[in-house]
Amino acid sequence: MRSVARSPSKPSVIKLAGLLMRPLPLAPLQPLLAVALAVMRRRHDGVFERLAELDDPLFVIDPTDLPFVFKLHLHHQRPSLVASREFSTEEATAIIRGPLPMLIDLLEGRLDGDALFFSRELTVEGDTEAVLLLRNAVDSDEVDLFEDLLSVLGPLAGPLRFAADARKAVVSGWKAAT
Amino acid sequence: MTKALKQKSLELVCPAGTPAALRAAVEAGADTVYLGFRDETNARNFPGLNFNRRELSEGVDHAHANGVKVLVAINTFPKAGNPGPWQEAVRDAEACGADAVILADIGLLAYAAENHPKLRRHLSVQASASNEDAIRFYAEEFGVKRVVLPRVLTIEEIAALNATIPVETEVFVFGGLCVMAEGRCSLSSYVTGQSPNMNGVCSPASHVRYEERDGQLISKLGEFTINAFDENEAAGYPTLCKGRFSVDGSISYLFEDPTSLNAISMLDALMAAGVTALKIEGRQRGRAYVSKVVGSFRQAIDAAIEGEVLPDIDMSDLTEGASDTMGAYQKSWR
Repeated sequence: MRSVARSPSKPSVIKLAGLLMRPLPLAPLQPLLAVALAVMRRRHDGVFERLAELDDPLFVIDPTDLPFVFKLHLHHQRPSLVASREFSTEEATAIIRGPLPMLIDLLEGRLDGDALFFSRELTVEGDTEAVLLLRNAVDSDEVDLFEDLLSVLGPLAGPLRFAADARKAVVSGWKAAT
Repeated sequence: MTKALKQKSLELVCPAGTPAALRAAVEAGADTVYLGFRDETNARNFPGLNFNRRELSEGVDHAHANGVKVLVAINTFPKAGNPGPWQEAVRDAEACGADAVILADIGLLAYAAENHPKLRRHLSVQASASNEDAIRFYAEEFGVKRVVLPRVLTIEEIAALNATIPVETEVFVFGGLCVMAEGRCSLSSYVTGQSPNMNGVCSPASHVRYEERDGQLISKLGEFTINAFDENEAAGYPTLCKGRFSVDGSISYLFEDPTSLNAISMLDALMAAGVTALKIEGRQRGRAYVSKVVGSFRQAIDAAIEGEVLPDIDMSDLTEGASDTMGAYQKSWR
């Protein structure tokens, strides 16, 4: 079994964040990931209905600018999403690699997976059919990570959304002015 | 510019592999969306793709609420002794409110004409009808109202056809390009046992592998290496017709490079040739592709209809192999 240790490779703000996170334990991240997956299942059940065609796959999502990977285990009854510093290629159904911002854009449907793959910005290793099904399933609904996570905050969601919208307006205004 | 005028001049027919892609196409300016059921009754039977009956009904409602039509592709060939799934697909398409079905098989066309006479019938590109006699046969025998022309005709040939046939024509203007005779190609079957004609898949993903080896990306179909891409070279999907092979010591593409059709600069000529509708290929692509390509063609068609200069739109980042071609519309060897 070949184990792979993660190390960041590209200079970016995300890489800096990755370096800062390197000494930190991943344990505090796990409950957040569990919540994110639970919210995804609740708000995008059609995505998981499509994914049910797969037989218990393990996807390793490998952001090349972070010092760890995400393991998405789509067990039919108890799917899980965990952060991990190591993984073995043999246990993974498929491994998907790319910079984190690109992976988020892909998840939220702002980028086309085929185009990223053809241009070699996204790399895929393992079961091509499983990766294709994952891509098509995720793309079948409008996933919005920010809105999805806000949905669990109840009354706090309103002020946070207002703050985020205000920040977007300031940033776009600044961009327009420069 | 009114919707009616746009549709009268050039109807933009757009792909949707998922409900989100359908909504993206509607938002980006599609006049019509085409899609398929989640089974082997259509030629994009890919894992995780397409619509179940509930999703189709909801999609039709959404499209119609925005003045957009929905076509259902049922364009593979029914298996001998098992026409049921294809006939059910026609019945369900009508029940869900689809505006037309896109069919290829003459048996299924006869079934639809006899049992669902009010459901408009289009002839799929998979029927490969490319001359006046063939198209007249489909129009007269099965009441076909529109034919999707194979991607082997020049614009002059399309204009000549339109002058003689009694039905509308729809032509591809963007997307993946089949270089073989559509509806007749069985290359994929020789390696995988499955073809687009019978199973709805060319080079099914279950038989595709990508491997990194010595700095190259190797694409394989079954046990066969189809291509090897250098580190910074744009890659493609391993279909046999776009493979790079070694023959007598020389490595080259034998049939076609990995490339996509892009006829956005030919809209004036296609309109003058009497084409009714322009089709964008790509039900298997994501909604980001749908948004950008549909939006670009909406802009270009509106300009063409107004007689304005066509905008310079770069879609090379969405093409296979990062390159495009005008295909048979402008084949120099013809």
